[in-house]
Amino acid sequence: MKTRSIEKVSKPGTPHFVGDGFRVHNFIPGTSTMQRMDPFIMLDYNSKYNFPPTTTPKGVGVHPHRGFETVTIAYKGRVEHGDSAGGGGVIAEGDVQWMTAASGILHKEFHETEWSKTGGEFQMVQLWVNLPAKDKMSAPKYQAIANKAIVKVALENGAGEVEVVAGEYNGVKGAAATFSPVNMYNVKLKKGAKTTLTFPEHYTTALLMVEGDAKINGATDAPQDHFVMFNNEGDTFTVEALTDTVILVLSGEPLNEPIAAHGPFVMNHQEELITAFNDFNTGKFGYLED
Amino acid sequence: MQLAKFNTYLIEKGGLTQDDLAKIEPFIKAKKIVKGDFLLKQGDICSHFFFVEQGLLRLYALNEDGKENILQFATENWIVSDRGSVYFKEPSSYYIDAFEDTLVVFIDEDFIDKVSQVNPNFRKKNERLLQNHIRHLYKRISQLLGVSARIRYLDFVKMHPDIMLRVPQWMIASYLGITPESLSRVRKSLAEENFKA
Repeated sequence: MKTRSIEKVSKPGTPHFVGDGFRVHNFIPGTSTMQRMDPFIMLDYNSKYNFPPTTTPKGVGVHPHRGFETVTIAYKGRVEHGDSAGGGGVIAEGDVQWMTAASGILHKEFHETEWSKTGGEFQMVQLWVNLPAKDKMSAPKYQAIANKAIVKVALENGAGEVEVVAGEYNGVKGAAATFSPVNMYNVKLKKGAKTTLTFPEHYTTALLMVEGDAKINGATDAPQDHFVMFNNEGDTFTVEALTDTVILVLSGEPLNEPIAAHGPFVMNHQEELITAFNDFNTGKFGYLED
Repeated sequence: MQLAKFNTYLIEKGGLTQDDLAKIEPFIKAKKIVKGDFLLKQGDICSHFFFVEQGLLRLYALNEDGKENILQFATENWIVSDRGSVYFKEPSSYYIDAFEDTLVVFIDEDFIDKVSQVNPNFRKKNERLLQNHIRHLYKRISQLLGVSARIRYLDFVKMHPDIMLRVPQWMIASYLGITPESLSRVRKSLAEENFKA
């Protein structure tokens, strides 16, 4: 066991709007590159933001994806979504939607109609997980993971709990199936509690401070809404909660394949991007009304 | 300011060499235009051609009801202007604005003269580009007069593969001279034929 060192702690940058419903700070690739964060190729974080009541739900209209998975984690607020394969539903607080866009899907995401009427505090993460080349053109699918379906492992001495969204924690398997080894947890620690996490040294590893402040490896401050990127040196790090905290923990094995990305398409080669645009323009992703 | 696309354009389409580029570099004027800003308004005299290094410009007219009729989109490597206004110094009937934050290279007659002095072949190459533009305009008129909405749409996205992700559908419908509903029908029927669930 060797301490995993920190590469950097990034504060949330100037937010931008995705559509009119998601006010996000970009951490991936914004603070590094897709290649460096492989297999995590995009992370947008909507830090707590108050949306006023409206009868016209805010969000993002119809758009395509190909070549990866989108993972939406709702911390505050509710999102409803629909897609060209006839799927749809609501992502409520604590839920995770794991959408495998793979060969291609059109979808739209809006604040839930009823939630919009009252508005309120909204906090979300959208993460893109890259797919191995061999799976990029597989059939699209959804994993709608309700909070009650996510296994929660209690930490010793009432220190808190670990929600195992994907991968494995101390032998407990996560709710989501993945195409490559990915660990994703929500670690909830009580003020003053301390815990350690261990992942293989070569896994890309990062933390998003969703709630509260912590100290990492006994030395580095990780304040709320900051993003902690670890080096691929050492396997174990400690987290000490300075307040009650919720931390999104990501650790995944790099795919080490070429990346060709343009907007909502992430493939391995430029020609595949051209095909993606042609397929999208000629209806091969299906049809979805705005 | 990095103008990789404009430099490549001058080499590939204008026949310039790296040495030529170095000579004309001091005369290249570029500027960042914020989304929503205008490069040309109706009634103004247009003095430049605008090359898009990065971003998206559109050229449009307003009809009597205030509806926008889009004549051209200019994405990366495209040039847009009101040629009539530039050459005949007449007030323009059109607007050019930025639909995205856009890095624009400003080209005027002086610049064309300077480049032509550095490389005399440039004038001929430039004339060829003008002829190509006219050819494209003929095709566009002919399509507006008598080609189905479906073929207009398919030809358009072949020319601008990523445009559907960058501008709203009503703008594309405006460019194609069809209603937004008609564009939706075209896209729906293509999906019905080509989508394999």
